[in-house]
Amino acid sequence: MTHIPTAPDGIGTRAGRAFAAYRDGERERLSELVDLVTPVLWNAARSQGAAPAVCEDAIQTAFLQLVDRCGSIQEPAAVLGWLVVVVKREVWRLGRGARREVGVEEVPEAPAQQLDPEAQSILSERQRVLWRHVSTLSPRCQELLRVIAFADRPDYAAIAESLGMPVGSIGPTRGRCLQKLRTTLGSDPGWAV
Amino acid sequence: MTSHTDAIDARDIANLRHVRDLFAHADPAPGDLAERVKFAITVHALHAEVAELMDSALLTTRGAETEVEPTPTESVTFAAASVSLMVSVAPMSTEESDDRVRVDGWVTAPGARVEAVTNEGSSSVVSDANGRFVLDDLPHGPVHFVVTDPANQDVRPVITPTIQV
Repeated sequence: MTHIPTAPDGIGTRAGRAFAAYRDGERERLSELVDLVTPVLWNAARSQGAAPAVCEDAIQTAFLQLVDRCGSIQEPAAVLGWLVVVVKREVWRLGRGARREVGVEEVPEAPAQQLDPEAQSILSERQRVLWRHVSTLSPRCQELLRVIAFADRPDYAAIAESLGMPVGSIGPTRGRCLQKLRTTLGSDPGWAV
Repeated sequence: MTSHTDAIDARDIANLRHVRDLFAHADPAPGDLAERVKFAITVHALHAEVAELMDSALLTTRGAETEVEPTPTESVTFAAASVSLMVSVAPMSTEESDDRVRVDGWVTAPGARVEAVTNEGSSSVVSDANGRFVLDDLPHGPVHFVVTDPANQDVRPVITPTIQV
């Protein structure tokens, strides 16, 4: 039989495997899970417009909830999406200083992405051009593209869903957000290489 | 013309890579965020008491600024309500292992299990009748210690903050 190369697993799949192994008693696999998903979670948190300290707390809280509720999570394979949902909710809950739990349906939409002046000053010329184009997209598209950019293609659909985007908004098809980015960059002679 | 109903192609993947580079550059996740999350999980899972770093001669606790250089290490003391722990760190001198470190320690509890958790995993020893212990062949990098009482499972473990050795 010929070996058919398969698409590499996305971080969501690898995170799901690590989490399943952790649930089955391989406690050290949790560390792998944390390493894998922290960049995605950081961007999911920061894209809500909250301060770095709030984002760190939200990520930490999400992992502690994961550990506490470990046995009751229905689909270990979907752990990345679960964490994104909880992080986003926690950012809003901590940000507004409310004690009560915020339901997923109450989580407001992310604002347009902001970079503080200091961050903007360290961008390369090309990144500045890209930032200008990203800023023209709708806030929802900015949030979606920022977060999926830190994941792999097989993860896009699940992440979009956990951010509250309609099913089918991205992956396996391009979806409107990626199409808009492509169009706006394509129309800029300053971007074309 | 491309359409939003087309499959994601190499251009889209390249565009996303640029977006990733943009945010990773302008708003990077703190370098030690994952380590701090792991530490919080460990404390939480063990229902542990976190020992306080009392004093240190040249050892640094892990923080945003600690990636500067390997600090020459001396000794450090941690204190919790139930137990205190002093460790001193020295390079192992044998030729084949000069990138490894040896920890000589003393804990205010004879017969306590002391576990060193490093990037490579963990190793543990039991302190002697005087509370002394040695953990050798540890890697450089972050380490934290967990002190438990093997004779009494009901005692809360004590966990130290992470230090660099």
